[in-house]
Amino acid sequence: MIISVKNLVKRYGNLVALDHLSFDVEEGEILGLLGPNGSGKTTAINCILSLLKYDKGEIRIFGRPMRPDAYDIKRDIGVIMQNVAVFDELTVYENINYFCGLYIPEKEKRKRLVEEAIDFVGLNDFRRFYPKKLSGGLLRRLNIACGIAHKPKLILLDEPTVAVDPQSRNNILEGIQRLNREGATIVYTSHYMEEVEQICSRIIILDKGKVIANGTKEELKNMISLGEKITVETSAIHPEHLAALRRIPGADSVEYANGLLVVKSGKSKNNLENVLDFLKKQQIGYGRIYSELPTLNDVFLEITGKELRD
Amino acid sequence: MQVFKLCIKVLEKNKTAMLIYIFIFLVISVMISRLSVSKPQTGYADVKTDIAFLSEENTPLVNGLKQELSKSANFVTVADQTEALQDALYFRDVTYIVRIPKGFTERFLKGENVRIEKTTVPDSVYGAYLDMKINRYLTTAALYAKYGGGMPQKKLVSLLKSDLDQTASVTLKPEKVRSAETVESGGTGTTFTMYYFNYLAYVLPAVLIFGIGAIMQVFNNRDLSLRSFCSPITARNYNFQFLLANIVFCIVCWAILLIPCALLDPKHFFSRATSFLLLNSFAFLLSAGGLSYLIGNLVKNRSAISALSNVCSLGPSFIGGVFIPRLMLSDTVLKIASFTPTYWYVKANEQIEALGTFDFSNLASSYGCMAVEAGFAVAFLALGLTAGKKTRVAG
Repeated sequence: MIISVKNLVKRYGNLVALDHLSFDVEEGEILGLLGPNGSGKTTAINCILSLLKYDKGEIRIFGRPMRPDAYDIKRDIGVIMQNVAVFDELTVYENINYFCGLYIPEKEKRKRLVEEAIDFVGLNDFRRFYPKKLSGGLLRRLNIACGIAHKPKLILLDEPTVAVDPQSRNNILEGIQRLNREGATIVYTSHYMEEVEQICSRIIILDKGKVIANGTKEELKNMISLGEKITVETSAIHPEHLAALRRIPGADSVEYANGLLVVKSGKSKNNLENVLDFLKKQQIGYGRIYSELPTLNDVFLEITGKELRD
Repeated sequence: MQVFKLCIKVLEKNKTAMLIYIFIFLVISVMISRLSVSKPQTGYADVKTDIAFLSEENTPLVNGLKQELSKSANFVTVADQTEALQDALYFRDVTYIVRIPKGFTERFLKGENVRIEKTTVPDSVYGAYLDMKINRYLTTAALYAKYGGGMPQKKLVSLLKSDLDQTASVTLKPEKVRSAETVESGGTGTTFTMYYFNYLAYVLPAVLIFGIGAIMQVFNNRDLSLRSFCSPITARNYNFQFLLANIVFCIVCWAILLIPCALLDPKHFFSRATSFLLLNSFAFLLSAGGLSYLIGNLVKNRSAISALSNVCSLGPSFIGGVFIPRLMLSDTVLKIASFTPTYWYVKANEQIEALGTFDFSNLASSYGCMAVEAGFAVAFLALGLTAGKKTRVAG
C-alpha cells in the first residue's frame, strides 16, 4: 500500500471540507480523484502532503505516518500543483535543476535527471527560455518536469490540465501514463471526467468531502441502472407516441424536447433496434441518431442528483 | 545550497536596478560631500578692526594702551557726540568704542577699581578679542603698579611693552582644527568621510529594501512555497540558506558602498575615528536589513517595493540630518526623526567625529545610539517574522 487515508476530517470553521474520508492507493495504480469544484479534492491532496493540518484521521505513506517533518517520505514524492509554480527569474533548465536539487544533492546525478525530465516533457528547444516566454501548454509541461525530475515513486497531480489547450492536455495525459508505466504510482485529481476515464485505473468520486463511489470505471458504471442513452433528432413526435415508446421493453425513461427524443434504457439488449423499429412503424421521420454508454457524469448524477460540473 | 544560489540568482536578475541606485548615490554623495566639506584651517593671521579711541586724559599708560591696541585695530576719528558715535557703530564705521575717563590713570595706579567705558557692536568677535587685549594690558599694568615699588609711569609702560611684545609661534594641526570646528558647529561634521557615512543612511536602505524585497517577493509566492514545503529540504536548512543569502547580500552591499570612500579619502578612512563610524554603519546596516525584511513581508507588489524603498530611504534622511544638518531642523522634526534609525545613526556619526580621544566614557553616548539602531533591527525583524507568519497562515 502506497497511501492509506483513514477517517480524515478537515473543517474550515463550520464548513466540513473532508468528512471522514477514507481510501487507499495501491502501488502501480493511477488513482483518479474525481469531483466537482469544492468537493474536497485539493484539500485531500494538501492533507496527504502535510501542507494542511487536519482535525482528525490518519494518513500513512509508504506504510509510515505522514507528518510535516517526514522528510524521508517526501524524498520519494513528486507534486504537481494546480497552479504553475516556477521561478520567473530562472530559465527552464534552471527551474528544473533547482527543484530537482531540493531532492538530489549529487550534481552529476541531478544533471542526468534534469536532462531526462526535459526530454520527457519535450522542452529541449526551450531549455534557455524564461517562463514568461513560454506558452500556457509549455508552462504546464515545465511545471510537471519540476515535479517529476527526481524520479519519485509517488506522484500527486492536482488538476494539472486546468486551462490547457487540447493538444497539450493529451501530451500531459500521455506523459502521466508513461510515468506510471515506468513504475510511479499516481494520484490524479480532476473535475474533467473524460481525463479520469482515459488514464485512471481506479476512480474515487468525491462529493462534499465524502467518497461516494470507488472502483474502476466499469465498476462505477455498473453501479447505476442506466445502460444506454439513445438520442434521435425528430420533429414529429406526439404525446401518444411518447406513451407508446414508454411501453417498449427496456425503455426506462422517454423525453422529448427541442426536437430531440431521448430514450434511456437499462442494461437490456437491442434498445436502439427497438426504438428504430417503432419509428419506422409509426412512419416518423428522423435525422441523426446516436447511442451513448453511461459516463461518470451519469454515475455522479444518479448518485447525487446533480451534474458533475454544477 | 539550492536556496542560497536561488537567492543570488534573484539578486542577479535585479542587479541593474540596484547598480543604478548605487551609481547615482555615489555620484550625488561624492559631489555633495565634496561641496559641503569645509577646508581644514591650517594657518592663522591677525585681522585689524576699526575702533574709536576716545581719551579724556593724556598719560603714558593711556598712550601705551593705545599703542598696544594699534596692533589689532585701526583708529577711526569720530566726533565725541552720542549721535555721531551711535551712527558710527550702526553703519559699522567702527565696531568698538573705547573711552578713557578723566583721572583713570591716577586712580588705576593707586589700585582703585576703575573701569574703561566701552561700546561694541552686539556679538562681535572683534569686541571679544579687543576685550582680551585691554584686560591683558591692564592686568599686567596693575601687577607692575602693585609690586613695582612706585616705578615711574614711563618705565612701567616700557616694561609692559616688552612683556606684551612677546609672541609664540603656533602651528595648527588640521585634525585638531577639524575636531574643534565640529564641536563648535554642533556636530555638522566637516570631513568627506563623515559626509559619506551620513549619506550611507540614504543609499543602504534603498538598495537593501530593493534587493531583499525582490527575494521576499519570490519566496513569499504561495505556490512556490508549497512546492518547497513538499520537498525533503528541512525547514531549518531552508531558512538558514535564505538567511545566509540575505546576510551576504547586506554585507556585500555595505562593502561595495564603503570601497569608494576608502579610495577617495584614504587618510581619514583608515583612521581610528572611522573604525567607530564603520561600527556605527554596521549597526545601521542591521536596522536597514531588518526594515527591508519587514517591507518584503508586508508588500506583495514589486512596484510598491520600489516606491517604498525610495520613501523609506529619502524620508528619514531628510528629517534625520543626512541632507539637512540637524542644527537646522526644528525640535518637533527631530523628535519625529528619533523614531527612525537614521536619526540615531547620524547622531552617532556626529558624536564620533567630534571626539578627540576614543575611550569608553567618550564613546558611551555613541554606543548608546548604536544600541538603539540594533534595537530597531530587532523590532523590524520581529515585526517582519510576525507579518510573514500571518501571510503564510492566510495562504
